Amino acid sequence: MSALRFAWDEARGVARLLADTAQALLRARPPAAVVWAQAFDVGNRSVFFILVTLGFLGAILNFQTGFQAQRIFGDTSLIGAATLPILVRQLGPTLVGLMVAIRVGTGIAAEIGSMVVTEQVDALRMCGAGPVDYLVKPRVLAGLIAVPALWVIGTGAAWMAGLWVTHLAFQTNPATYVNLDLTRGADVAEGLFKAVVFGILIPVIAAHSGLQARGGSEGVGRATTQAVVSASLAVIVLDLLIGAVAFGLRGGAGA
Amino acid sequence: MIEFEDIHKAFGAQKVLDGVSLTVSQGRIVYIIGKSGAGKSVLVKHLVGLVRQDSGRIRFEGEDITHFTERDFFGLRRRCAMVFQHSTLFDSMTLVENVALPIRRHLGATQREALEQAREKLALVDMAALSDRLPAEVGDGLRKRVAIARALTLTPRYMVFDEPTTGLDPVNAVRVDRLIRDLSDRTGVTSVVVSHDLRSIFGVADRIVMLYQGRVLLDGTPAEFRTSHDPVVRQFVTGAVEGPMAL
Repeated sequence: MSALRFAWDEARGVARLLADTAQALLRARPPAAVVWAQAFDVGNRSVFFILVTLGFLGAILNFQTGFQAQRIFGDTSLIGAATLPILVRQLGPTLVGLMVAIRVGTGIAAEIGSMVVTEQVDALRMCGAGPVDYLVKPRVLAGLIAVPALWVIGTGAAWMAGLWVTHLAFQTNPATYVNLDLTRGADVAEGLFKAVVFGILIPVIAAHSGLQARGGSEGVGRATTQAVVSASLAVIVLDLLIGAVAFGLRGGAGA
Repeated sequence: MIEFEDIHKAFGAQKVLDGVSLTVSQGRIVYIIGKSGAGKSVLVKHLVGLVRQDSGRIRFEGEDITHFTERDFFGLRRRCAMVFQHSTLFDSMTLVENVALPIRRHLGATQREALEQAREKLALVDMAALSDRLPAEVGDGLRKRVAIARALTLTPRYMVFDEPTTGLDPVNAVRVDRLIRDLSDRTGVTSVVVSHDLRSIFGVADRIVMLYQGRVLLDGTPAEFRTSHDPVVRQFVTGAVEGPMAL
């Protein structure tokens, strides 16, 4: 029961911070240079991690799909066409979201948490710069730019790794593998929408955890762990919810 | 004038302030003292809205600020600045950018105007030559000096100092003491100072308020404090290990 209560309080706190951030964005935009620097930081910190992780997972997905296809149909020519929509709308945004939550969410929570416990956030407020304006807003805009870009890079890496592994394992012709016929605009829209949502929410959740830090370094550690757990859970739950809504909007699997 | 009336504050089950009332007159220097964890910093942070009371009332220059919002406190923080226990300079900004921040945010100055003014403020504390350094590149004492310069940029009428001499060498500590005294004597700034430093307390304070177990134990002049027969006050003044003051 206490875990449910905690989750509810956490969700309310994140929702409040999200609303405050939206209001702050409507009042004034942060300097473009600050946002680009943050976006570059988010992208730079995650891109290698995402290339490696998504690359391996794309290879595994395509290998296993090809293995089953060969057993059942004796034909692997449609592997690329079949796995691309899954990567675009489902695995790409979700895995990128999880990687960003781990790699960037922890950094945001630790940085803001350290500022809280060393009273730098209080000092910011005394200087007339609220933490939402000064710390959260640029990071949310940075996430909004970087996560969709990472989704494109990660999905591309996964699919290309699949091309390589299916060619090696099943001698699938690369020209046959690169087949966009089964990928619809709706798949791209769903994947992009998820990437945008995760790009906004991960920094907000991480910043919320950082702002809740109390005590010393132990409190910063707790905030960092909390950030990665909450952001990862949010990515998984929202992935399912958005996927279900998109499925309904498309009118089922056939559309 | 600042008035705290029956302030109560708890963090979870831990009661920190249990009905604290005190008044700070214009232009005076009041030291808040007490053992570590007595709630001194928590009390003074109420004044600038960094901590909100569970119950009680606070008046600032006659205005009831008890239910001020964060936006209401924005204006108050122009009139009442705070120097924190740690220098709290922002690591990613140079010293001059740190001092320029409140000028930009509170006065709406452009970056160039704010930096110009900030350089002038740093020159006043002999820090002009180091203005483009990052906080990590200078020592604790210098960081504290910059933090004080930052707090004074808006020429506030009220100052809150949270352990301003902690971690400073004796020479820099005396400089800070003199600054607090000068601000009061020359410009009529009202200061509320949290400190454990007896040399500073007896050298600068107009009045001393001692907190103990969440309440005001003693509120008087330095002379009254020195001659108090209260065993807790005596233990604090003498620094005796044995006594009624628990750990």
